Amino acid sequence: MSTLTGIWGKFNKNRGNAFGYGLLIPSIIVFAIFTFWPFLYTVYLSFFDWNMISPEKEFVGLRNYMEVLSDSKTYRIIGNTFLYIVLLLAINCVVPYIFAFVIDVVLKRFNGFYKSAMFLPAFISLVVGSILFTWILNPVSGPLAIIFGWLGLEIPNWTKTQGWVILVLSLITSWKVFGYNFILLYASINGISREVIESARLDNVPLWRLFLQIILPMSSATGIYVFIITIVQSLQYVFTPVKVITQGGPDYASSNLIYHAYHEAFVVYRTGHSAAISIITMALFLILLFLEFKLVERGIYYEN
Amino acid sequence: MRKMLRATLFLALILLLAACNSNDAGSATTDGKTTIEYWHVNAETQGGQTVKQLVEDFNAQSDTVEVVAKYNPDMYKGLMQNLQADAAAGNAPAVVQVGWSFLNYFSDNFSYVSPQKVIDEHFPEDKTFLQDKFLPNIMDLAKNSDGEQVGVPYSLSTPVLYINRDILREAGLDENGPQTWEEVKEFSKVIKEETGKSGFYFQEPADNWATQALLESNGAQFITDGKATFASEEGIEAYELLADMVLEDETALHIGWDQGVQSFIDGSVAMAYTTIAQRSNIQDNAQFDVAAVKSPAWEGKDPKLPAGGSMLAITAPNEEEQKAAWEFMSYLYSIESMADWTKGTGYVPPRNDVADAENGLKTYLEENEMMTAAVEQMDGVVSWASFPGDSGLQAEQLLLDLRDRILEGSVTVEEGLTETEDKINELLQ
Repeated sequence: MSTLTGIWGKFNKNRGNAFGYGLLIPSIIVFAIFTFWPFLYTVYLSFFDWNMISPEKEFVGLRNYMEVLSDSKTYRIIGNTFLYIVLLLAINCVVPYIFAFVIDVVLKRFNGFYKSAMFLPAFISLVVGSILFTWILNPVSGPLAIIFGWLGLEIPNWTKTQGWVILVLSLITSWKVFGYNFILLYASINGISREVIESARLDNVPLWRLFLQIILPMSSATGIYVFIITIVQSLQYVFTPVKVITQGGPDYASSNLIYHAYHEAFVVYRTGHSAAISIITMALFLILLFLEFKLVERGIYYEN
Repeated sequence: MRKMLRATLFLALILLLAACNSNDAGSATTDGKTTIEYWHVNAETQGGQTVKQLVEDFNAQSDTVEVVAKYNPDMYKGLMQNLQADAAAGNAPAVVQVGWSFLNYFSDNFSYVSPQKVIDEHFPEDKTFLQDKFLPNIMDLAKNSDGEQVGVPYSLSTPVLYINRDILREAGLDENGPQTWEEVKEFSKVIKEETGKSGFYFQEPADNWATQALLESNGAQFITDGKATFASEEGIEAYELLADMVLEDETALHIGWDQGVQSFIDGSVAMAYTTIAQRSNIQDNAQFDVAAVKSPAWEGKDPKLPAGGSMLAITAPNEEEQKAAWEFMSYLYSIESMADWTKGTGYVPPRNDVADAENGLKTYLEENEMMTAAVEQMDGVVSWASFPGDSGLQAEQLLLDLRDRILEGSVTVEEGLTETEDKINELLQ
């Protein structure tokens, strides 16, 4: 009883603190259920051999990690993942940056139309987009192949060719990601004081310098956000076209780490391997994030 | 103080998580009807509309059972995966379509009840239904390696060769199509030379069904006594024919299944080797003189065609749902429903009395020559090879990876088949 009153006394003293914790509880619960718990469970599963259905799991220690790391497939897939990152950064970060700049600063007419036209595809489901592009880009008889045929050109057999398959899947993914990134960057560039831009114009600063030396630094806070979100999110978005169109094929040439973790768990039911791949993926991304904080974050301009 | 608070928070969290785990699903009964789920793999282009129609008609005439149909993408493999996920969460549908190649995997890993058992317990009037209406060799398709009757054959399909007669005539070839695989190769060459179009497309979905037909028709055996044995001389010879057509002659396409069938339908490729289940899709959409002919044989050998399609198995956990499941299944197996199913999908009816029945398919088959090819070649049907044990799916996946590598030319047929056979046998140990 005395302990209880003791606790109550302390509780009263720290009422302010407790109130704060109380307000945090809802989000902590959500995080715990949807992030921390699955993460811990994944770590746990990575030490077991299990097929997701059998009632018993066999403890295998680090064998899953050793098997994954000694599989040449894993390295191909890591390579693919970085190729995806580079391509997606080019398509979904660099290009929309330039587009946003051109539409906001350079063009004088139809700005509203461009804005909505660029954003529109982001509304359409990627599954629908994937099916649509499978048809449009059918190398034998799709509309694009027919148009190319008139010009005497041939479309590469992209679903079955290494390299091409990653490029085309990245393009299909940009269908979803491009518009959103574009709008963010546009808003940021739009928020830059017009006086700065106008005075640069009066001084006859060429457009490329205007972009690189004024617009880019002044919108860098949003820029870095888009940069990171492109890496993290698009790799997950790529999952959809990979699943719909190639299932990771030909021979894993279009698989990335995220799809491969899915493939191991839900196609061949090796949850241990899948969990090990997930943990390795997370480690890789932690390193990337660390590098980003070390190298890029310092040069960022935050307005407030 | 802080520690206390942290501990209480942690406790609360664990309680909450535990609470989340314990809500289990029971059979939902609304207005006195037992609601059961029926899982199928039929997309709109592969009979989905017929499934919808059959389920609606059934629900309208039944006072006791309400069926909810659930579509599973990615064919039988996708359905298995969803079933796995649902079983892990403690749920189960009542009736599922199980693809032949998953027969052993299904019976090893999921709980099911043999249809005959449900019939014996609840429907004495149907006691001999399965013996009377199905041929014994067809019923055998639904037996697992221990000889247990896991389900009832529902959809039966075999691969056939679809031909574009307009292109064949244009190339000066026999408009009845090639009879042997050797002829398929020759025909494709002529088509490429005469018309500039691709000659042939060999289906490439996420399974090795058609590959089995190609290899086993030449005398190879996919599985012998639980071991992979496809890399025999005959197997290599058969696979080489396909690889040569893609890589050397460049007369055959190597593209995804959807794209391949689409290319046949719009007339860019003259012949397509794919399942009879694509019949209504192809028939409805092709704008040319299209026909389906029997699966090609190898010179001097009898074709051996794996039965594709699925059986219906009862996975309902309790008696009430099991009873409802058979009530629904016996509706699906009526002559009229079977006939609708065939018309909507192109599957060959597993019941022996549907093809000749007046209220079945008699007039339909007379009018639809494309179906005849599949009905006629039923005597060559063998079971779909399914690798035993937990690694079955991995073995299947290795063969798919091999297909990509062979057809893009990064490995020779002989090397690839031998290597993959060794790998699979290692896995199966």
